[in-house]
Amino acid sequence: MPEVKSIFREVLPKQGQLSMEDVPTLVLCKPKLLPLKSVTLEKLEKMQLDAQEAIKQQELASRQTQ
Amino acid sequence: MEVTMDPLFLAWSYFRRRKFQQCSDICSKILEDSPYDQAAWSLKTRALTEMVYIDEIEVDQEGIAEMMLDESSIAQVARPGTSLRLPGTSHGGGPTPAVRPMTQSGRPITGFVRPSTQSGRPGTMEQAIRTPRTASSTRPITSASGRFVRLGTASMLTNPEGPFIHLSRLNLSKYSQKPNLSKTLFEYIFHHENDVKNALDLAAQATEHAQFKDWWWKAQLGKCYYRLGLYRESEKQFRSALNHQEVVDTYLYLAKVYQRLDQPITALNLFKQGLDRFPGEVTLLTGIARIHEEMNNITSATEYYKDVLKQDNTHVEAIACIGSNHFYTDQPEIALRFYRRLLQMGVYNCQLYNNLGLCCFYAQQYDMTLSSFERALALVANDEEQADVWYNVGHVAVGIADLTLAYQCFKLALAFNNDHAEAYNNLAVLELRKGRIEQSKAFLQTAASLAPHMYEPHFNLATLSEKIGDLQSSYIAAQKSEDDFPEHVDTQQLLKDLRQHFALL
Repeated sequence: MPEVKSIFREVLPKQGQLSMEDVPTLVLCKPKLLPLKSVTLEKLEKMQLDAQEAIKQQELASRQTQ
Repeated sequence: MEVTMDPLFLAWSYFRRRKFQQCSDICSKILEDSPYDQAAWSLKTRALTEMVYIDEIEVDQEGIAEMMLDESSIAQVARPGTSLRLPGTSHGGGPTPAVRPMTQSGRPITGFVRPSTQSGRPGTMEQAIRTPRTASSTRPITSASGRFVRLGTASMLTNPEGPFIHLSRLNLSKYSQKPNLSKTLFEYIFHHENDVKNALDLAAQATEHAQFKDWWWKAQLGKCYYRLGLYRESEKQFRSALNHQEVVDTYLYLAKVYQRLDQPITALNLFKQGLDRFPGEVTLLTGIARIHEEMNNITSATEYYKDVLKQDNTHVEAIACIGSNHFYTDQPEIALRFYRRLLQMGVYNCQLYNNLGLCCFYAQQYDMTLSSFERALALVANDEEQADVWYNVGHVAVGIADLTLAYQCFKLALAFNNDHAEAYNNLAVLELRKGRIEQSKAFLQTAASLAPHMYEPHFNLATLSEKIGDLQSSYIAAQKSEDDFPEHVDTQQLLKDLRQHFALL
């Protein structure tokens, strides 16, 4: 699109001072990539979960027999 | 007439196909008929061990007691670059906390969690005790009370007739004479029963029977000593095992001992020795990369992870770490390629989709962003993960300037995980935009107390307090922010202004 004439002209001040105020803004915490889990860790967590389930089941069973 | 298979053969077949429960059931039946069948007995111990087997090299959980009452370290104040405990001492060109979030111990977050790096090493007792509350995993009091014990008791509970082998009735010296039984028995005691003392007894007697010439028993002795916290003895055993036979595993165990003794340089040298013997060995290269990463030397860590990928181009840990490094060094497009590679390889979980979503958004591939996050939300396993995904969706919402959605996302993150400090901080920023100063201040204070290692809440609190004229609190908060992130320019500026102001008074 070479022939389109721009309506806006850029403004470049040739004289005078250019000043910019640096206003401190609040910072957001950064986005967090979640770390992947190693196979060992996943197995550990699964085993722990299974063990907890098993204990729960056994407790339920013992409560029902009482 | 039906031809039945020999039960022991069937049991072996089940074992090879990793159907351990069936294998163990058949062995139990054989043992009921002939209680002295050694083959069935040994196979059953192996099946039971395999059920709860975890790679001993990978497992390393440091309890509070080991960490705070640590007597094995040589220097209390180590020189820069020689210790794993002062992460900030060697800056290898890693990104600053302004770009890359930090963990509690002041290390940049990694792309991959291993059991040993899960929560890092807190500096003070107070932090150590606080860690279980904020990290997604709980830290045990000592490693002896950690997962090992819980797993051990669980394996007994599921067995209604009591344990398979009564260790107290076992004549260990008799078994140590029989090399074909003793090794399986040792692994059973060590992994299934978690009875390290008995395992140590058996290993000591067996190594004596082998006339101190079997490297395997020496390595096992080293493992037992490591579990008992006797690191120097453990080191001796592994060294001696290496003299007999050079095995990659032994190198890895020995390096683990040195890491626990806080001697990363020795561990690195050891890995290099190992690489001379086994050139291009992936586990050794990964070990080096991990140490560099823990010492905050991200550039060389990435180099080593690349070496790993040259040997094994499906190494999940290396791909994830390089990917996250690219993301935090402002190259989300490249990070996206790495995470896509993981997806192609069949990794299918919430974390991966969350990372893909973030990379897509920052690489300006908006069409994929929200669908990735939707998948991530569909795959979450627990509330903490859900909170993290919503927190990241909140970032996307901030990016497209949909502040209402962002507000709701951060609120959701907090609903799922009440300790999500980052979400508190971001919510505070949004609240301040709405002009609710008190609310914002409360959120910031919560965030600062939940995560004293992050500079953002401190800095925000300082800025906010300065605006409402509470210069004293502003100064205190700014100082905390400076402690966490000394190079932060805005904090420096704020402190300078405040000092000038105080000097005028």
